[in-house]
Amino acid sequence: MMAYLNTPISQRFTADELSAAVRTTLGKPLRRAAALTQLALVGSLAALPENRRHLPTALLWQSTSGPRAETLELLLEVCVGSGEPMPFGFLAIQPAIAAAQIQPFLPGLQTASYFPLDTVGKAQWSLLLNMALNWLAEGRYAQVLCAHLDLTPSGAESHWLDLSKEPLDNSLIRLQLSSIANQNTLPDTPDFPQHLKRWQQQPNTNVLNLQSPTGYRQALEFNRL
Amino acid sequence: MSRPVYLAGSGLLCARGDSPEAVAASLWAGSYQAEKRRLGEREFPFFPLPLPETDWIQRAEQAVRHVNAQLGQLPAGTPLFIASSSFQIGYFEQQGEPFKLPVANAEFSQQIAQWMQLDGPCASFSSACISGFSAIEAARSLIASGQIDEAIIIGFELANNVTLAGFAAMELLSRTTCRPFDLNRDGLVLGEAVAAIRLSATPANWRIAGLRTGIDAYSTTGPDPEGGPIARVTVDCLNEANFLPGDIELIKVQAAGSPGTDLAEANALKIVFGDQIPPLLSLKPALGHTLGASGIAELASLIACLAADQIPATSGHSEDDPEIEPVSPVDRNECHINRAMLNLIGFGGGLATMIIERA
Repeated sequence: MMAYLNTPISQRFTADELSAAVRTTLGKPLRRAAALTQLALVGSLAALPENRRHLPTALLWQSTSGPRAETLELLLEVCVGSGEPMPFGFLAIQPAIAAAQIQPFLPGLQTASYFPLDTVGKAQWSLLLNMALNWLAEGRYAQVLCAHLDLTPSGAESHWLDLSKEPLDNSLIRLQLSSIANQNTLPDTPDFPQHLKRWQQQPNTNVLNLQSPTGYRQALEFNRL
Repeated sequence: MSRPVYLAGSGLLCARGDSPEAVAASLWAGSYQAEKRRLGEREFPFFPLPLPETDWIQRAEQAVRHVNAQLGQLPAGTPLFIASSSFQIGYFEQQGEPFKLPVANAEFSQQIAQWMQLDGPCASFSSACISGFSAIEAARSLIASGQIDEAIIIGFELANNVTLAGFAAMELLSRTTCRPFDLNRDGLVLGEAVAAIRLSATPANWRIAGLRTGIDAYSTTGPDPEGGPIARVTVDCLNEANFLPGDIELIKVQAAGSPGTDLAEANALKIVFGDQIPPLLSLKPALGHTLGASGIAELASLIACLAADQIPATSGHSEDDPEIEPVSPVDRNECHINRAMLNLIGFGGGLATMIIERA
């Protein structure tokens, strides 16, 4: 069981830059889309070139913040304000909606799952990548996008890994399961793709592991191609 | 490596009872009464948990501990998968201003794990109404590949005004009752549930034969009325299970009484099954739509019904809708079912279909 990764992608935007990035990417604004949806759209289109957007695709995305500002706003509206929110206010706290808003621009998108995180500084890349490996091995999808998206008061940040079953021209890393190793292991943090990219660009070690949750039998092993 | 994944145990607390067996008995007896929940000047039917507590956090703890106790002794390191669409938002409402939201949006999952005395890997899922099946799919994937041998998947949904107000603002709620596939259906009725499923690589009475999730991007608030995207997920699931449509003996439909979604689901059933639609059962008129917990709560309820060979009637359906007939729920019966399908059609475009088979 193995998969191939292209260059990990990381993006950062201020609030103004995010809307501008959406307009640049689509040539128009994305109407009635929450900030997380806009971030997911810009990132997924950056991760997948146009000629691969029609291929069967799964999106697995996680977030530490979730739609925090929108949730606070809605709580105020319901508990302190008039009591009934505008529909968009409620839709904005439903991250699951992002997939339906992204699919018109990513026609191959067949499924999506959202993983809210429970601890600051910790991520679920290991779970997402294990699921991606299994699904690619089964032949369910041609590619799986795994992402971490976060909103802060000052802006937005995302990290993306794009996995495919077959190596592409620009594939740089091979991912497979191996016995648990303690050497050259990175912790499962939101910015793991940045560290992976840094490792890929430094020719001192050929193998890198991602820390597995306790109880997993095998580790995720990355090999430079 | 790919190995079968079995449904090895369950726990449930919902408006119809405090265990899967109690809920199945209540359904068989035809119990479906709802209570009322007030929102401003309006009242909506609602299916609350049968708990006396009013403090949100105490209520949550009691519900989780009650369901956990039904799962038997669990090794502390058992992986935990938590599905919810609202997590602890009702707690913030009860606390009031200033709302102290944690930085990590699913921090409440740590509290659930602590109540369940589990300290192994823990992951959270929030894909609106299909959250439960998304969580099962993740756990199944890890078990099938041999990474882990067992997992607990818990669905958690407690009452809150944000959800009630949000659905009310979009005119998605019935003011009277849930009427699946009925001519006079006028919306869904919300409910509370805490439910759990134990998945295992060790053979048990039921195995998951297929599970697929998908997207219906027709609209963020309702599915394609033609039913095409729903049908595609159903066919994918049948193909994964290597079953023909005629192999399915019963379908637990979504059928929440929503005018648009019921129509879309009925059309999807016609696409996939033609004029040989299997018997249909909706549990939402008796349990309420328990959103992120609905997948787990309805799976636990259905397995208990099937174990007793007692398929309950679907309350609320009294008059066929010419636009969707002949799709209508089955009468109460005592058929022995070996293969059942479960459909979820989520708010926001999420779709999921699961097939279970007696092992």
